[in-house]
Amino acid sequence: MSVDNDIVIQTHDLKKHYVMGSETVRALRGVDVSIERNEYIAIMGPSGSGKSTLMNLIGCLDTPTSGEYVLNGQPVQDLDDDDLARIRNREIGFVFQTFNLLPRASALHNVELPLIYAGVSSRERIERAKGALEQVDLADRMHHKPNELSGGQRQRVAIARALVNQPSIILADEPTGNLDSVTSEEIMTVFDALHDDGQTIIMVTHEPHITAHAERVITLRDGMIESHDAPRTVRAETV
Amino acid sequence: MRILEGIRIALQQIWAHKLKSVFTLIGVIIGITFLIAVITIVEGMNRYVQDDFAGAIFGINTFSVVRRNQVQTGSESQEHRRRQARNPYLTMRDVEVVRRAVPDAWRFSYSVDRGFSQVSYNERSRKNIRVIGGSDGYEAMQGWEVAEGRGMSPLDERKSLKVAVIGADIAERLFPNGSPIGKRIRLGSTRLEVVGVWERQGGLLGVIRDASVLVPISTFRETMAWQRNRIEEITVKARSIEEMQASMLEAEAALRRDRKLRPGEDNNFWLQTSSDLLGAWEKINKILFVALPGLVSISLVVGGIVIMNIMLLSVAGRIREIGIRKALGARRQDILFQFLAESSTLSLAGAAIGIGLGIGLGKTVDALTPLPASVPMWSIVVSLVLGLVVGVGSGIYPAYRAAKQDPIVALRYE
Ligand SMILES: Nc1ncnc2c1ncn2[C@@H]1O[C@H](COP(=O)(O)OP(=O)(O)OP(=O)(O)O)[C@@H](O)[C@H]1O
Ligand SMILES: [Mg+2]
Repeated sequence: MSVDNDIVIQTHDLKKHYVMGSETVRALRGVDVSIERNEYIAIMGPSGSGKSTLMNLIGCLDTPTSGEYVLNGQPVQDLDDDDLARIRNREIGFVFQTFNLLPRASALHNVELPLIYAGVSSRERIERAKGALEQVDLADRMHHKPNELSGGQRQRVAIARALVNQPSIILADEPTGNLDSVTSEEIMTVFDALHDDGQTIIMVTHEPHITAHAERVITLRDGMIESHDAPRTVRAETV
Repeated sequence: MRILEGIRIALQQIWAHKLKSVFTLIGVIIGITFLIAVITIVEGMNRYVQDDFAGAIFGINTFSVVRRNQVQTGSESQEHRRRQARNPYLTMRDVEVVRRAVPDAWRFSYSVDRGFSQVSYNERSRKNIRVIGGSDGYEAMQGWEVAEGRGMSPLDERKSLKVAVIGADIAERLFPNGSPIGKRIRLGSTRLEVVGVWERQGGLLGVIRDASVLVPISTFRETMAWQRNRIEEITVKARSIEEMQASMLEAEAALRRDRKLRPGEDNNFWLQTSSDLLGAWEKINKILFVALPGLVSISLVVGGIVIMNIMLLSVAGRIREIGIRKALGARRQDILFQFLAESSTLSLAGAAIGIGLGIGLGKTVDALTPLPASVPMWSIVVSLVLGLVVGVGSGIYPAYRAAKQDPIVALRYE
C-alpha cells in the first residue's frame, strides 16, 4: 500500500459480461474510475445501467470479466475467493437497500458479524459493536431483533455493521430506496457524519436530492461512464 | 470463537425447531440407545457370570482335578475328546499326590457324586437330586452353611457314619411340617440320618445346592459307589489367583510325575478352573459384540442420512444468510465449518439423548433382573465419538453446498 498516494480505488477498462445462453449481457463496458480517500461519491444512472454491477466489483463481491482494479494499491482482479473474503471483511463496508440483516440475530450480534470473521476476541467484539451502534445512535436498541426495529433503525444497524471493522470504503447501494423521505434524510445525516469523520463513501442512488450530499456524481449509462460531475450540475440536469 | 459461533447457531436452530430436531435425530438416538443398552447388559451379564455364576459353581481362586474335560465349548478337536475319553479314573492315590503337591492350599477337598437319584422319607420322595460323597472340608470349599442342625464332621468321615446334610428343597419336600433333623431318609437301599439342612441358595443356581444330599465320602464309597476306588473331583482353593496358578502347576507336575508321563505327552487328567466355563460365555459374548456394530451402524447410517437431508433443507432455506455472511467476510471454510458444527451439534445432541435413554434402560434392567447393569465409561466415549462422526459425515455434503455459494447469487436469492 502506498502512503503518499491517496487514491483508494482505481479501475481501468473494467468490464463485466453476463453470458445468458446465446446472449451476452454487457453490464459494464470499460469503466475507468479513480476515487480518493475521504471522497463522497454518488453513482447515478438509469435502471440497468450497471450501477450495482460496478458496486459489486468495487466491493469484491464479484470479479470482473476483464480490466484492472487496484484497491489501496493492491491489484484485486486476480485474487482468489479467500483473499476476496478477507478484503470484503477488512476494507469494505456494505450497506444494502434491503438491509440484509440476519433476522434471528440481535442488532448487536449483527454488528458483531464482521468482527467474528476478522477473528476478534469476543470481549473486544462486543465493545466495538456497541461503539458502532452508539455512533448510529442505536445503543439502546442493541438487543432488539431486526423485526423489532423500524426500517430506518434497521438501516442504521446495517451502517453500524458496515463501519465496525473500520473499512477503507463504505459502499451503499440505494440505502434509502426502501425508506420514506424523512427517514431517508435521517440516514443521509448519518452518512454525512461518517464522511466528516474521514470515511470514504460510494453511494448508488436514483434520487437527485440525495446526490446533494455527495462531492462528486458519476453517471452511468449502458455500462459506461457518461459523466463525472459536481452534484449541483446533475441536479439541474435531471428532471 | 468461530467454533463457538458455529455451535451457537446450531443450538439456536435446534431450539427453534425442537420437535423437528427430535424427529431428525431419531435414527441416531435409537442407534446410540441400543449401543449403550446392549453394552450395559452384556457387561452386566459378564460380571454376573464371572462373579456370581462361575464363583457359585467353581469358587474363586479354585481349581479342580477331574478325569476329563466336562465343559464343552465346541472348540475342542475330535482327537482331544477321544484322548480325554481314555483318561484313567481318579483314585485315592491321586488325592494323596495332589494333597502333597499343595501343602499350603487354603482348602482341599475331594468328592464323588451321582446325579438323578431319588431320596425318600416314608411316602414322600424327591427325584432328580444329586448325591455327593464329600471329604471333610467339602462344605467349606463350596461355602455352604447349614441353616439347621450341623454340617459334616471329620468324625462322620472317619467312622463312615450313615449321616446326611440335605438341601433346602429336599427338606421342604420330604418334611413339609416339622424338622428333618434326626429323621432317617432313604437313598436307594441305604438309610441315612439327617444331621443338617443348608441355607437355601435360591435363584437360578439354587438347583445345585438346594437339591443335593451330602454324605461322608467314606460312607458313599462303602454303601453306594459302584466303583469304590473312583474319585470324581479333587478341588484346591488358594488365597489368591497367583497362588492358585502356582498350586495348579505344582499339582500338574506331581500328577505327571506319579503317572510317569513323558515330557511332551498330554496330561491324562484334566485341570478345571472357572475359566473353562467362562470360555463358553465368552463365545456368546463375542457373537453379541460381532452383531452389535452391524445393528448400530445401520441405525446410525439411517440417522446420518436423515440429518443430511435436514441439513440440505436448512442450507436451501438460508442461502441469503450465507450471502450476507460472505459479503461480511466469511470465507468458504467459515461457512463450511458453520454447517459442520451445526450437523455435529445436532448429532451429538442425539447421541446424548441416546446415552441418557441407554442408561435409563440399563437402570431398568438392573432393577428388574439379577443382572448388575452399570454403563461402562468407555461406551459413553464411543457413543460420543460415533455421534461426532455421524454429524461430520452427514454434514459434509450440505456444508460443502453452502460454502461454495457465490456471494452475489446468494445475496439476491429470494
Ligand atoms: N447475474 C446477472 N446475470 C445476468 N445479467 C445480469 C446479472 N446481474 C446484472 N445483470 C444485467 O446487467 C445489467 C446491469 O445490471 P445492474 O444490476 O448493475 O443495474 P443497475 O444499474 O444496478 O440497475 P437498478 O438501478 O435497477 O438497480 C442489467 O442489464 C442486468 O440485467
Ligand atoms: Mg442496482
